[in-house]
Amino acid sequence: MKKLSLLSICLLSLLVLSNCSKNTAGPIDTAYPEINTSSNDAFPKQCSVVKRGEKFVFKALLSDNAQLGSLNLDIHHNFDHHTHSTELEECDLSPVKQPMKPFLLIQNVVIPTGQKSYRASAEIQVPADIDPGDYHFMIRLTDKEGWQTIKGLSIKIQ
Amino acid sequence: MKFISILLFCLFVCGKLNAQLYPLAGLVLDTEGAGLKGALVSISGCENTLYTDKEGRFFVDGLKRGNHQVMVSLGGYYAQKLLVNIQNRQTSIKVVMKTSDQQLKEVVVKHSLIAARRQEESLNIEVVGSEFIQRNLGGSLMKSLERLPGIKTIGIGSGQSKPLIRGLGFNRVLVVDKGVKHEGQQWGADHGLEIDQFAAAEVELVKGAASFIYGSDAIGGVIEVKPASAPQKNTLGGSIDLIGKSNNNLYGTSVNLFGRREHWFLDTRVTYQNYGDYSVPTDTVFVYDYAVRLHNRQLRNTAGRETGLHLATGYVKENFRSVFYFSNVYNKSGFFANAHGLEPRRVNTEMHDASARDIQMPSQQVNHFKVVNRSDYRMGVHKLEMELGYQQNFRQEFSQYVNHGYMPPVYPDGLSVSPELEREFDKQVYSINLKDMITLGNHQFTAGFNSEYQDNTINGWTFLVPSFKQVTAGIFVYDKYKIGERVLLHGALRYDRGQIRMFKYTDWFNSELTTDGTTIAEKLIRANDLKRSFNSLVWSVGLNYNHEQFLLKANAGKSFRMPIAKELGANGVNYHYFSYEKGDPTLAPEQSYQLDLSLGWNEARWSVLISPFYNYFPNYIYLNPTANHDFYYGAGNQIFQYAQSEVIRYGGELQLKYRIWKSLSAEFLGEYLFAQQISGDKKGYTLPFSPPASALFNLSWSPAPESALRHSYFSVDYRLTTRQDNIVPPEKKTPGYGLINLQAGTKLNISGQQLALSFQVQNLLDTRYLNHTSFYRLIELPEQGRNIVLSLKMPFNISLKQTE
Repeated sequence: MKKLSLLSICLLSLLVLSNCSKNTAGPIDTAYPEINTSSNDAFPKQCSVVKRGEKFVFKALLSDNAQLGSLNLDIHHNFDHHTHSTELEECDLSPVKQPMKPFLLIQNVVIPTGQKSYRASAEIQVPADIDPGDYHFMIRLTDKEGWQTIKGLSIKIQ
Repeated sequence: MKFISILLFCLFVCGKLNAQLYPLAGLVLDTEGAGLKGALVSISGCENTLYTDKEGRFFVDGLKRGNHQVMVSLGGYYAQKLLVNIQNRQTSIKVVMKTSDQQLKEVVVKHSLIAARRQEESLNIEVVGSEFIQRNLGGSLMKSLERLPGIKTIGIGSGQSKPLIRGLGFNRVLVVDKGVKHEGQQWGADHGLEIDQFAAAEVELVKGAASFIYGSDAIGGVIEVKPASAPQKNTLGGSIDLIGKSNNNLYGTSVNLFGRREHWFLDTRVTYQNYGDYSVPTDTVFVYDYAVRLHNRQLRNTAGRETGLHLATGYVKENFRSVFYFSNVYNKSGFFANAHGLEPRRVNTEMHDASARDIQMPSQQVNHFKVVNRSDYRMGVHKLEMELGYQQNFRQEFSQYVNHGYMPPVYPDGLSVSPELEREFDKQVYSINLKDMITLGNHQFTAGFNSEYQDNTINGWTFLVPSFKQVTAGIFVYDKYKIGERVLLHGALRYDRGQIRMFKYTDWFNSELTTDGTTIAEKLIRANDLKRSFNSLVWSVGLNYNHEQFLLKANAGKSFRMPIAKELGANGVNYHYFSYEKGDPTLAPEQSYQLDLSLGWNEARWSVLISPFYNYFPNYIYLNPTANHDFYYGAGNQIFQYAQSEVIRYGGELQLKYRIWKSLSAEFLGEYLFAQQISGDKKGYTLPFSPPASALFNLSWSPAPESALRHSYFSVDYRLTTRQDNIVPPEKKTPGYGLINLQAGTKLNISGQQLALSFQVQNLLDTRYLNHTSFYRLIELPEQGRNIVLSLKMPFNISLKQTE
């Protein structure tokens, strides 16, 4: 008899717990946004080359299942080969060297609010007096929920 | 009056009360005259067995006149049998227990002590001894305790991990070592806990809030590490532990030596462990899409060293004891070289793969020094306790200089910071605890005071947390009230005050901002001087009901946590996580309301214990990854903003034990946790590091106590962990997995000295799996593959000439 009552208390408490979980509001967004640089007009791509003193246009297709957040571009040198890109393909690297005046770019690109998909483009001026060599081109994309996708491309500045 | 005070706990009535029946009161002491708690007392003519209370007392009513056989047993002591003649009045007896063995306490008998403690605490507790640690020896103390339901770890590599109790960790779990709050850098996911597991004689875990005793930080639970008790009079002894592990080629030893004449004793221990890179069941790991080939399936640069030096000395008398504990725990270990945080790194594989035991950069080095004095004094109905502590936690993280963000491309000459010192945290802590336990009738009052002063300084070429000083103080009262034989009521009230002062930090390099064609370059001020004060009033009420095989515990309470310096004052880029972490200086102290319940039933052959809980936070402090990037202070990184949100959490553990045959038993341990933020930016999401549900099936063989093989055991654990889809940025969904662990051991008797041998195979099938709460989860690093652990314990005792 006592065992029965204990069992029923256990079952009851389990029931209470399982009821609680029904408070859950709709499904949460667990999808990362996507950076697509595979289309023909996308630039730069892994191992792309850009020239000093010239402009190039960054182009990529951004998408998210719900709503895109913010986009940041970052170009920094990789003369010491210390860090690696996020990509599978390896590029030919120039020998390790000391940076003198490496190019540094940290730039936000505005994405209009409420977009699920956006063709981002931004004009980037590469100064003429910077060190040529191996660089990383980092694309950081968030969605509204705070999921972030990072793409680190290896590029060369000539 | 004295008689009433004896009527404390464990009051059992045998048979009906009538004029022909008489009471028996008893006191169970060790050879020094200290009361022994949890000793099992059985009396002929009385069906119930009972346990002694905290002072070593027991009381039984309803015995017939005449001779009764009383048997007292307790793990680590020789059982005492005596004949008691019950006369017309109350009879009192005193039983002195002699230690059977200083080091090797019987696991079986020890369960009785744990059971007694469980019956007296309204909070959900687990107690394990050094045998449990030896049997389940993991890479760190917390890894060894991970088998317990509701306990998980946040680990990095094979040697460091910190506790997660029912999904709460970091500064929400308080670790008490030798009576004093252990203070390290608890906030870092890649930081361990600087505690030597060989020096832990017993570990008590409180699942659920225990703020009323310990103050801030005990919001998720408490882990109390207890040192070995003072040796017996006129003894000289010690033990040698030898440890070997196959997965990371660990070898280690821990040597203990203790001695005591009359009142003075000395207890020392030296631990050394050295391990190589740990291996995983794969040849290649992927950091994003970048394939990292592993040499010999070993994770590059995850080797480490650990040393622990301990010395305890003190004076022990019947009513007074005072012990000084000195300890120094040092640890140096490497971080996986191919990814610093989330950042893929190209490394010189030839240099790294030349040796699996070398520690290159990136690496961490921590030294924790501690001096504690614990004294207690018994005086009538009072028991006074005092702890004084000083500790220094000195942590350094080394990495080659990489110019992140706006940092200069070449590390400038003439800076006082070494280009290899990425971060340094130097924490000095002074603590004092005072406590008076007063026994009055059926009440046991405890009144106490705790205070702590912290001085924290930082160094290194990156900035995360400013330097700060912190003072906290709290007072509490606690009453344990016994009603009849079955019910214990608990009530507690606590008031705390705290003040934190943070200090200005200015970058050592210029950051650049170009607006409308004009560029400004300045050294950014990352933190300003800031002073905040907090106070908090918390309470707790609880109930225990024990009747025959049935056990019920209920506890409701409010607890709190003061925001830490990082939550208030962070304003730096964690480059390895691509995150710009921003504190909020206006945060309020975090509060939590928790309801705990435990229901148990114990039969001779089986037992069941179910422990559900419900927890509500009106303002949980949480690092929220936002949708935005900051390109000035954050150097283009995603803004992670500290914020507060309402959170509900519930879950529980289920434990089932069943003895199939005399020497074969089965066990099931299940745990489930659900957490959800119900307000704020991440409404609907869970909390970070929420462990998935898991179940452990165990089959154990251990021969009956009268068998010649009684000290042998063989046990198989199968742990099934479900997938975790309930995630919050920046986490990833983690698939489920099953693991098999084996444990076996025996004790050998070689020329009068016992030798305990234990053997373990962790991850028997070399399963490749990801641990949702592991630091390396985000870069998809699999956990350790098969690991064979061998440990040998050789205790020795030399009896000195008796002076008694």
